[in-house]
Formats: sequence, C-alpha cells, structure tokens
Amino acid sequence: MDETLEGWSADTRDPEHRAEVIDHAFDYRGDVTIVLDDSTERVGYVFNRNRDVPDPYLEMFDSAGGPPIMIPYASVRAVRFTGRDTAAGNSYVAWLERKAAAKSSARDA
Amino acid sequence: MSVPVSQMWTVISYVAKQKLRGRKRYPLVLMLEPLFRCNLACAGCGKIQYPGHILRKHLSVEQCLRAVDECGTPMVSIPGGEPLMYPDIGRLVKALVARKKYVYLCTNAILLEQKLDEGLFEPSKYLTFSVHMDGLREDHDEAVCRDGVYDQAVAAIRAAVRRGFRVTTNTTLFEGADAFRMRNFFDEMMDLGVEGMMLSPGYSYSKAPDQEHFLRRQRTHQLFSNMLNKPKTRWKFNQSPLFLQFLMGKQDFECTPWGNPTYNIFGWQKPCYLLQEGYAETFQELMDMTAWDRYGRRSGNEKCRDCMVHCGYEATAVDHTFSSARGFRDAVIATVTGKL
Repeated sequence: MDETLEGWSADTRDPEHRAEVIDHAFDYRGDVTIVLDDSTERVGYVFNRNRDVPDPYLEMFDSAGGPPIMIPYASVRAVRFTGRDTAAGNSYVAWLERKAAAKSSARDA
Repeated sequence: MSVPVSQMWTVISYVAKQKLRGRKRYPLVLMLEPLFRCNLACAGCGKIQYPGHILRKHLSVEQCLRAVDECGTPMVSIPGGEPLMYPDIGRLVKALVARKKYVYLCTNAILLEQKLDEGLFEPSKYLTFSVHMDGLREDHDEAVCRDGVYDQAVAAIRAAVRRGFRVTTNTTLFEGADAFRMRNFFDEMMDLGVEGMMLSPGYSYSKAPDQEHFLRRQRTHQLFSNMLNKPKTRWKFNQSPLFLQFLMGKQDFECTPWGNPTYNIFGWQKPCYLLQEGYAETFQELMDMTAWDRYGRRSGNEKCRDCMVHCGYEATAVDHTFSSARGFRDAVIATVTGKL
C-alpha cells in the first residue's frame, strides 16, 4: 500500500499510453495536474473516465472548486501526479506501532 | 430476525412487484453517500482517502432525493463518510421518512448523542440508527484506530434506545476475529436493547490502509459457523437469515451487484458499493451500461473472488427467498425457529 505514483509525470501524446495513464489518474487518490494541448493546466481530482465512447473523456473536480469538468482524452498532453496520495503511507501496521509506543510511554510516565 | 412486520411486508410487496413486472435486475437498498468526510480513519475503510477539496464536498438534499426517486428502492442506507457530519442530515432524514422509505443511518455514533440533544431526529418506524460496532471494547477501538470510541458508541446507543429510536448495530469482521469473543459481543449488544445486529465480512478495498486482515472465503465460512453455531434465542439479526447461512457456507449464492446501488458526489457508482470502476449520470444508465457479467464470483473477476459482503449477497438472499419454494421454506424456518 505504500507504493505510490505521487510525483510521477507522464507524457500522453501517444494515444495508447494516454489511456493507460488516465486510468492511473482515475485510480489515484490525490490531485493530478492535467496539461492540455494549448499548454493550459487543470489541477484537480479525476473521478471518472470513459473510453467506451467514440470520443473518450475524463471528468474531474478542479481543486479550486466548482462543478465537475469534462476533458476529452484527445486534448490531454501530459498528466502529472502532483497532489498527495491520500491512500499511501498510512498503514495499519504503522497505527499499531503508534498505539504500542503510546502505551509504552504512558507506562513510563 | 428482528425486522418489524411492516418493513418485512414493504420488502415482500416490493419484490413481488418486481417479479410480476418481470424485472430481472432490480435494486433493493440504495446506498446514499452524501459525503465522504469522516471523524474516524478506520484501518479497513477505503471510503475516505480523498484530497481535502473532495472531502469538503457533499450532495444537496435535492440531489439525494432525486437519486432516491430515480432508483425507487424501499430502503435507503446512508453510509459515508460519517452521515452525522452532513450539515443537512436532519432535513434529509425527514424527507425520506415522509416518502415512507426505511432509512438506515449508518453512524459511528460519536456525534449521535449531540444530534439527539439538538432534536434533529424524531423516532419513527422508518428510521433506524445503524451503529458501527466491530466487537468488544478492545476489538472495536482497534478496528476504528482510536481508543474510547466503543464507550462513546455504547452511551449513544443507550441514549437513542431510551428515546424510543430503532437502533441496530453493524459489524464488519476481519481476519483474527475471535468467534468466542464475538458471541460475548452479541450478548453485550442485546443487553443494550438494540433491535437487532447486522454482520458482514470486510471487503479488501484496494485503497484501505490494512490489506492483511481481510477474510478469505473458507475462513469466512469457518468463522461464521463457529460464531453462529447454536445461536442464542435472544440474539436478533436485522438481516436475511439466508445471508447468514451463506456466510456459514450453508447456502451457495452469486453476487447481485445491482442490489445495493450507490450514489455519491461523483454520480452512480459502477458496478457496486465496493468497486469503483466509473460513474454513471443516471440510475438507468448505471443499469443499462454496466457490463454486469464481468462481476461476481463466477465471472472470474479477481476483485470479486473472496467478496461475501452484504451489499452484494443480501439482495441475492432476499431474491432467493421469493424465487423458489426451497428459499422461502428455508427463510421461514430460520425466521420462526431462530436456527441458522
């Protein structure tokens, strides 16, 4: 669970690779930065994607707020995994260790 | 079983209507997630790992009611996140009760006493507080990763029962659960005066921090058989007895992924409450466009292999009750005798 794509950046000009990277972005529990064809950037959370339609698209919530936005796959030039991966580095084992440490320090006090 | 007759009758007539209409796939319980924000971060939960701006979002009451009307289930479960953190929870519950929906408000109960004191809810046969309790004090506090939560929940259950609310518990079981301790836990919950208990094995969410403690299928059979062997007559379960028999390995069911459709800020979740493979804009789109044959144990989908969770199999158990003489007979015997 501690493996993460956080910090990864992928060029998506190749359509095959693009679909794969967008799948990773969809699966990622953090914000990403989508670089569009015109070099504009959208930062937010990708919550949906659909490549089973003639014009595949992704949907994201911009981190600045507002309603969801739809972006066609064809206009995605790069994806950067810029936000913190909220599913990583928070293991159960770590919690057990913290709990044991707290108990031990309470005993010592 | 502890489900009141009026609720049972509502479900029976709903299922009968679906059968008469020839609907092969119909939903039974809407899982309505108005928000993902929670005041706990449990080790087995894969629902709350989102960036802050997503956790701050929530559905409007109007969006919730539109979803309820769209799918038309007789029961609405409100999980989350923690639904008592939803700012409009009082208004939402009131509107659902007015629609005569049986509401299960799934809460960790940390805020329950406070909300009861604020007069946010009124007792009704349509409203049940389903309190998350994963075992005796030590086991529960460990599962929710915070000490003291068990005691808070017990106090809240007592307060809700005292005020005349319907209260059930919902328990998720993980690897390492002890059948003997769970039997003590059932006694303790019944002593609190709850109407019934709900049980389910946990699902191995790919995003949950704890991946090592989810039950595999054989182990689930073993644990539930030991736990529910010769059940005490005072134990009441607020769920289909056939589902419990399935967990014990006495029934062989296939998943009904459309049985508990899920709606949240992203839309209608495909295909089920546990897997997140995309979102549909409408309930009809969810039903029509999801490749249902890719899910369930027989599909060979690895993500479904060990899943025995209530949201996939309880609807199967209910459907089985009304689809065959054997199913009906088994359910009646278990309900009348309390034997599983």
